[in-house]
Amino acid sequence: MKSIFKYIATAALALIPVITSAQAKKPTIMVIPADTWCYENGFMNTYNNQGKETKVPDYESAVQENMDLVNVITKIGELMADRGFPLKDLAATVRNINQSNAEDEMTVSRTSGATLAESPLDRLLNRAKADILVELAWKINSVGPKKSVTYTLRGIDAYTGKQVAAAQGTGPQSFSAEVPVLLEEATLERLDNFASQLQAHFDDLLENGREVTVNIRVFDNGSGLSLEDEYDGEMLTDIIDDWMAQNTVNHRYSLTDATDNMMRFEQVRIPLYRENGTAMDTRYFVRTLSKYLAKQPFGIQSKILTKGLGRADLVLGEK
Amino acid sequence: MKLLSLITIFIIALTISFSTDAKQKDQILNYDIEGAGTGAQGTYMVKVTVISKDKKPKEDLIKRSAVHGVLFRGFASKEMRQNQKPLAGSATNEAQHADFYKDFFAENGTATAYAQIVTGSREVVKAGKEYRVSDVVIVNKDQLLKDLQAAGVIRGLNSGF
Repeated sequence: MKSIFKYIATAALALIPVITSAQAKKPTIMVIPADTWCYENGFMNTYNNQGKETKVPDYESAVQENMDLVNVITKIGELMADRGFPLKDLAATVRNINQSNAEDEMTVSRTSGATLAESPLDRLLNRAKADILVELAWKINSVGPKKSVTYTLRGIDAYTGKQVAAAQGTGPQSFSAEVPVLLEEATLERLDNFASQLQAHFDDLLENGREVTVNIRVFDNGSGLSLEDEYDGEMLTDIIDDWMAQNTVNHRYSLTDATDNMMRFEQVRIPLYRENGTAMDTRYFVRTLSKYLAKQPFGIQSKILTKGLGRADLVLGEK
Repeated sequence: MKLLSLITIFIIALTISFSTDAKQKDQILNYDIEGAGTGAQGTYMVKVTVISKDKKPKEDLIKRSAVHGVLFRGFASKEMRQNQKPLAGSATNEAQHADFYKDFFAENGTATAYAQIVTGSREVVKAGKEYRVSDVVIVNKDQLLKDLQAAGVIRGLNSGF
């Protein structure tokens, strides 16, 4: 009898990693104010970009100074958490980045006094980001004493740039309701339709694989490596293209640009799981291509640059 | 005597047939649904109109119709500027889980537990031999969604991740 229990316990323990690993990587979602809203409400930073005046949204000031924005983001977060999908919070993310930057500046090695290594790319990547950005905007319309709110919610896939969910509309006019009440009603009214489109997007993703972007680049290191180089009579561009066809879900991908120095693959459907059942992401997908190219007859070294869950660049030539 | 027995049997058969027909009509849920304003958080406020031979149909029928409408038809209102899609997502969901919904929407099923009729909202209009009976109903959609997700008939945003 004891041995049966022991057997069941061992089998259950052995199954735990399989059960826990059979989960696809969950996309992160963050609500941000849309650029138009930031512009209309004066939350833009202006800087000189090589002689050209460029405006970028100032999210930090927006979440610190606009109570209506905080209320709407909080309400959307509450409703999404209710549906079992908690969101990444913009205010907390901005605060964490600032805190982490300050800590990094102060971190030094005890023995040599060296600071943390940080490339210009690391600094650039250290910004508020998520896999799906939900852009939020609203406008209060007034006709005499009557007020209504026009409300827009757009879910954009950060890597493909596709609008994956949206809810937009103008609510009924009201004589007495205050702006925060109108905004709360608009959020309650619109979020279910938004969530239902998001559900359709997730269902598609689970059925047909995650849609990602992969860029192939070449280091300009004087080695003379080109994507037009030939191996066994096949051009490197075609070899990579064939690899994509063999490794994507239902061979679904688009090669949108190809030159001797770069290839841009869009709408690349990668499987959600690796062969061992654990979750797959774009980095792992590109790493398998990198390993393939490192083998003979190619023998090409490469460097992988990951940009979130849905985009990776493979730079050929060196690590 | 034989003729009398035959007539009696015929009348009894006809009565049973009519009552079954009426019951079946109730089962089919013949109704219209439209938005009636923004409900409190976690709820929908809808106006449901059932077509019935009875001037005072059971409240149960109106509640079941409201829950059915919210799940599979969605609702709109030009006046309230509302447009909600069906909560169950695809219209095929009802057919896919027909066994579950048969019990759920049965006369003593659990569907009625998610709806509450707003007192004093009733309107009755006679239309030919039938009545169009309307009520404003509050549907507890958040709880409905959670329970159907737990039962595995509706997918949640979290499913698969």
